[in-house]
Amino acid sequence: MTHLSMEALVSLRGRGREPGDSGAREHLQGCPACQAELERLHQRVARLKALPPLRPARDRWPGIAAEVRAERRQRRNRSAGLVGLAAAASVALAVGLAPLVAPDPSPDPGRIEQVMARSRALESALDRYDPESRVLDGRTAGIAQELEDRIARVDRELEVTELREEQEPDAELLRLWRERVGLLDALVDVHVTRASNVGL
Amino acid sequence: MTRTLLMDSYLLSDAETVVARARTGDPAALEALFRAYEVPVYNLARRICRTTEDAEDVLQETFLEVCRSIKRYREEGSLWGWVRTIAASKALMRLRRNKYRDTDELHDEVVGQRREDTHLRMDLEAALERLSQTSRAVVWLHDVEGYTHEEIAGMMGKTASFSKSQLARAHARLRRWLGEEVAVP
Repeated sequence: MTHLSMEALVSLRGRGREPGDSGAREHLQGCPACQAELERLHQRVARLKALPPLRPARDRWPGIAAEVRAERRQRRNRSAGLVGLAAAASVALAVGLAPLVAPDPSPDPGRIEQVMARSRALESALDRYDPESRVLDGRTAGIAQELEDRIARVDRELEVTELREEQEPDAELLRLWRERVGLLDALVDVHVTRASNVGL
Repeated sequence: MTRTLLMDSYLLSDAETVVARARTGDPAALEALFRAYEVPVYNLARRICRTTEDAEDVLQETFLEVCRSIKRYREEGSLWGWVRTIAASKALMRLRRNKYRDTDELHDEVVGQRREDTHLRMDLEAALERLSQTSRAVVWLHDVEGYTHEEIAGMMGKTASFSKSQLARAHARLRRWLGEEVAVP
């Protein structure tokens, strides 16, 4: 006598109806061995469900909370920087400061570090202004949006360039970092000007 | 009421309030979510992953995702169902990434040769642990968590038939390893 396969038994236990189920059910009704097998399957699943839950050995929440906080801080800083950049660049563009970046075909290795350090210093200065808490007029906000896209593009280009496996990506990196610093520089000017003009 | 909705009320009785607060970024509410679902998420991850370290990483990745995405949770299904799907996806992703050697055949051979020896009969925990990662994941997701073969197939990037055959093979092995095989006429 051919008994039901495990696949057929598992299928009979399922919620849906499979093509071979009706034949299998018919067999099941007249076969005590398969009935017993199906019962064992039910019991095994019940025992699986009844296994005691496994618990983590240590508390992972502090690590998760720290990472969530760090991500928020990063977003805040980025947002503050970008909004500030937009306003600064709007003034820079208005007074014809562009182009802000000059090509340098043969940068010496220390130059990038210097430009990066300048970028960090400017970002800290902007952070102290807390641009996120300040109100922008419509025109500045519009330009800010456009510049956010520009900055995002520069950041993406920086990421890609840093990951590139070229031997000498320094010239490109220097160009990008200078572009960033140029915009940040103008931004600080704008904030100082705006603050002194409107008493912010 | 579905099983996952029941789990919601059991694990987090004031889920609606906690979710509303969590959406504003309230750290206490985010922690409340973690505390409510920490054990079931870890348990699910541990049943799928090979090591406790992997399961702990899945726990962390799951709740980072929950914290990042809670604003997008639409309350259409149960909260536990939403969290559980994130956890299952993360665990299966890790399973794919790690690509552990599948040791089913070896286990079959060793256990098969000696299955008459009652000392080698395993308890359910040990037998479950001995299944390949894929089979164990299918057994757990289908039989314990209640996912359908179609849902499992979607999460694993496989077909429903694959999920069904994995489940049947896994049960055949479990039956053998647990010493449940009986001689049939």
